Amino acid sequence: MDPLWTNIFHKKLDEESLAYFLKHLPIFSELSPRSLATLESIVHVRNYKANETVFEENDPGSGMYMIRSGMVKIYARSQNGVEDELARLGPGDFFGETTLTAPAPRAASARTLENTELVGLFRADVLELAERKPAISSSIFLGLTRVVSERLQAASLEIRRLQNQLGEDISPENVET
Amino acid sequence: MSSVSQSPRGWTRGQVALAFLVLSAAIACGLAVYSSASSLTGLSRAAFSVLFLPLLLSLVLSFLLDPLVNQMERLFTRTGSIFIVYILTLGLFLLAALWLTPHWQEFWSNMRTDFPRYTAQMIETLKSLMTGLHERFPLIESYAFPTKVRIWAEQLMAAILAQTPHSAMKVGGLMVIVPLFTFFFLRDGRKIMRSCVALAPNRHFEMIRDLSYLISRQLAHFIRGRIIEAIIIGLVITLGLSLTDIRYAPMLGIFAGVTNLIPYIGPIIGMIPGILIAFVDLGAGGQFWWIVILYILIAQVLIDNFILIPVLISRVSNLHPLLVFFAIIVGGKLYGIIGMIIGVPIVSIVKITLLEIRAYRRTFRLPETALESDRPH
Repeated sequence: MDPLWTNIFHKKLDEESLAYFLKHLPIFSELSPRSLATLESIVHVRNYKANETVFEENDPGSGMYMIRSGMVKIYARSQNGVEDELARLGPGDFFGETTLTAPAPRAASARTLENTELVGLFRADVLELAERKPAISSSIFLGLTRVVSERLQAASLEIRRLQNQLGEDISPENVET
Repeated sequence: MSSVSQSPRGWTRGQVALAFLVLSAAIACGLAVYSSASSLTGLSRAAFSVLFLPLLLSLVLSFLLDPLVNQMERLFTRTGSIFIVYILTLGLFLLAALWLTPHWQEFWSNMRTDFPRYTAQMIETLKSLMTGLHERFPLIESYAFPTKVRIWAEQLMAAILAQTPHSAMKVGGLMVIVPLFTFFFLRDGRKIMRSCVALAPNRHFEMIRDLSYLISRQLAHFIRGRIIEAIIIGLVITLGLSLTDIRYAPMLGIFAGVTNLIPYIGPIIGMIPGILIAFVDLGAGGQFWWIVILYILIAQVLIDNFILIPVLISRVSNLHPLLVFFAIIVGGKLYGIIGMIIGVPIVSIVKITLLEIRAYRRTFRLPETALESDRPH
């Protein structure tokens, strides 16, 4: 249970351990075992029951959540209060990573669908780490940047594709004006 | 309705006796719980009063040393860096003690003879002032002000002499306890904080984690700023006084530094003994005026107001003078002189906490209102 003891007695990462879970997330895949141990000490493991709100739209956002087990629904509320499901995330997925560096209100809401174990990494902890262990925190930030940039690239490609699609649909005269 | 009114009449003697017994047992239980609770609060208050000062000092010390330990932690483990910082601090303390000890002995032997001399001089001055007043306002002649001052001064001297061995014991105890507490605060402070924050419910956890970070950062900044300010003021006064022939320069510097922790009133209290001693020993000559200028213009106006406060302490934590007086009076009532010194910082801490929560809420409300104002366009 205690990450400190598991690290002393099991040199190889136990599949049950938090470090093993973190290692297999794309953000932290390039961290060294030592950095992983430090990361383990700054994340927060939280247990949620089914149908518990993780955060609501416009809540102050200050970090990311990784799903260790269970299921989370990401949704936006339309103006007449109907929930519009954006995504359904399972073990190994993560969400909210954009607010880890930039404080911003949450863009969507998140709710658990079953008993869920979330691992939270918050800005406060990473900033605190940056003072003590700059090298480790920069490798965490590097992983984060890589993932966010990949998503940004995918998104801009998607936008270009949609723009092209739109250009084919609409006559050239309308596009020019 | 009839059944409700009949039921009390329908009670048998046994039932009434039982009800009586149950009621009296309940009252007895309530009384027992109440009395044990009040003794419990008494116990916890006694325990708290023992722990209060060491806890406070070690918290302040760990806030002070934390940035140093964090810097060291880049190269060593946490525990190792705490030990290195400890050794450095110990060395600094030893140097200070070496420098202070001869002064301290001299101070101690001289004070018994000097203190009555200073008060006598003060009373003399007061008497001449009073006679001057008499000539102009004959009505107030019946008030024996100088005698009162003399009695008060004698009492103060007796109290200092009687309290010194006792407080020496206390200081010795603190010298052992405070470094120990500080060590654990420095090593496990983050873990303690984490386990406190972990108690928060899921829905508010994220916000509480963020707020706890912002508040503790602001507090660390404030406490560090205050202590460094006091140290620099103490050093400046000590240096400035050593240029003159005044005695007790280090003691007066330390006194001025410590009292500088209290805003508004502290600096005034801090300069009284220095100016008094200068007046009695050196007379109202050039050196006396240099000391007055040193205390007021150089230390307070130039260094404190123009350099230290803008650099070290944010203006947001400024308190209204009225609030400062309340804090000093209530602190003095609760914990004596130490209460007077820490009362104001504690009120500042409460204010910083409230301000930080408000700023946090505002940060996240602004984009929202901006969105709403954009909507009509």
